[in-house]
Amino acid sequence: MERLNSLLSGQRPDRVPLYHFLLGFCAKNVGYPISSMYSDPEKSFMAQLWTFEQYGIDGGPDFGYASYGGWEFGGEIKFPNGEWEQAPSHGSFAVQSEEDVEKIRLPDVTKSGMLPLAMEFSKLQDKFGTPISIVLGGNFTIAGNICPVETLCRWMIKKPEVAHRLLRFATDHILEVIQYWVDTFGAERVIPNIWEPLSSNQIISPKHFDIFVLPYLKESSEKILDMGIKHIYYHICGEQNLNLPHWAQVPMGDPGIVSIGHQVDLSTAINYFGDKSIIVGNVDPAFIQNGTPQQVYELCKQCIEKAKYAPRGYMLMSGCEVPPMSPPYNMYMMQTAIKDFGWYD
Amino acid sequence: MALMERTQEILKGLYDAVVVYDEVASAELSKAALEEGVDAYDAVRNGLAAGMEKVGQLYANQEYFVPELLLCADALYAGLEILKPHIGVRRQEIRLKIVIGTVEGDIHDIGKNLVKLMFDAAGWIVYDLGKDVKIERFAEEQEKTNSDVVALSALMSTSMLAIPKIIKIIKARNPNVAIMAGGAPLTRDIAKLYGADGYASNAGEAVQEAVSMIARMKWIQAK
Repeated sequence: MERLNSLLSGQRPDRVPLYHFLLGFCAKNVGYPISSMYSDPEKSFMAQLWTFEQYGIDGGPDFGYASYGGWEFGGEIKFPNGEWEQAPSHGSFAVQSEEDVEKIRLPDVTKSGMLPLAMEFSKLQDKFGTPISIVLGGNFTIAGNICPVETLCRWMIKKPEVAHRLLRFATDHILEVIQYWVDTFGAERVIPNIWEPLSSNQIISPKHFDIFVLPYLKESSEKILDMGIKHIYYHICGEQNLNLPHWAQVPMGDPGIVSIGHQVDLSTAINYFGDKSIIVGNVDPAFIQNGTPQQVYELCKQCIEKAKYAPRGYMLMSGCEVPPMSPPYNMYMMQTAIKDFGWYD
Repeated sequence: MALMERTQEILKGLYDAVVVYDEVASAELSKAALEEGVDAYDAVRNGLAAGMEKVGQLYANQEYFVPELLLCADALYAGLEILKPHIGVRRQEIRLKIVIGTVEGDIHDIGKNLVKLMFDAAGWIVYDLGKDVKIERFAEEQEKTNSDVVALSALMSTSMLAIPKIIKIIKARNPNVAIMAGGAPLTRDIAKLYGADGYASNAGEAVQEAVSMIARMKWIQAK
């Protein structure tokens, strides 16, 4: 934790930290089923802790997945099973029609969906002294998990008031969950992790981001920081280049933490966020899975050289979850690259 | 039979209806086309489908995104529903066939659905297997339909690992079928490494890539 804590307190650590987005990989590493990373808090925590120790990864375990929001609002999720599945996916959606939107209510954050499991996990974070993260989807991603994202996309143009209503629910829900975590552990300990893949330009335009994402992001961020939380971790997933001027307006703390996918150049990320946030990323996960060790090493070297001196700090990480089937030696290459290029003078 | 000028007006109207995602105009103009004697095939090919080609370009250029594409598709299908039953058999050119699906273990299908509609709009016969499609199903469906192309979609790094297995099974049964792969974690290099004959980075490019792929394979086979 020392390197992460150094960056969070505005100090430069001894070397670039190796940060983590590793779930299914950890399960396979220690011999657990991938589903346990999402269904069994203790197995999930220990699998990550042991794997981080093995690979010299900085930071503490996290618990969450990209389909967050569906189960909590009354839909169903399916835990990963079988050779080709790596994360929980939608079984059914709580909302399919406008009439369904009228019927939804804010979930009980102590009982709904994965939240009881997440709370159990955070109690382990507390016990082991690792950062208390609560992983949530961002406002738009949660809305796009409550109903099928294609439905949300259609409503954005044809029935914007319905889309806004879902986003209102998502925003209020995020704030209730984080307040619950703050009430349980204290604001100083909690670092919310907010993943926002559905707002990428692979789905929506920057114009729609401005209307349907930014106002809600800013609102929830401001209110989260008003709770006394010091740092928010945003995983800005996917192709987000056209959205970056909007993202740059979202307050993330002092410093915030911004992790980016391989689609956004690290130098670009530093331009937009570097003055206020720690930059994290962004080795292409497909290369970690399919590339040679030499390719992974070279990509890591390039990342480190580009971002090492980012004003508020930098942590090397994959651009998104490390695929569970990635060769272990490729993970070792990330550690090796850090040791070869990551030291500060 | 409509006068040339009125035909052009209706075709332009259908084209515009798709591009500006006006479902009502698409349906109304499709009915008007039939009532006024505009050839139904002409209305589909040079009105609706031409509009969808334009939409594909707008999407590839990042002027349109998924919400706009979905609504353009709704406008396209609103017109197609009305016109298709009236396309005379003799006007139906030989149509290429494609089997498409999201691979086993993967339930993401927005990208696959967008690619599907581009092929639909271009006049292909599309056999959509849906999502989380078992590995063997692609080869089975290709054989059953004698499709010219199989298109494989994956959004997750884990599910993309199914792609080389699927390609191997298909090629063992029919080495001449063209296979394309796509989805967020893929690149052209990875698709090639997996044994695919083609790759499209977005729905706007998919049909052109499929046509180029078939031409490349025919050229190789002729050598």
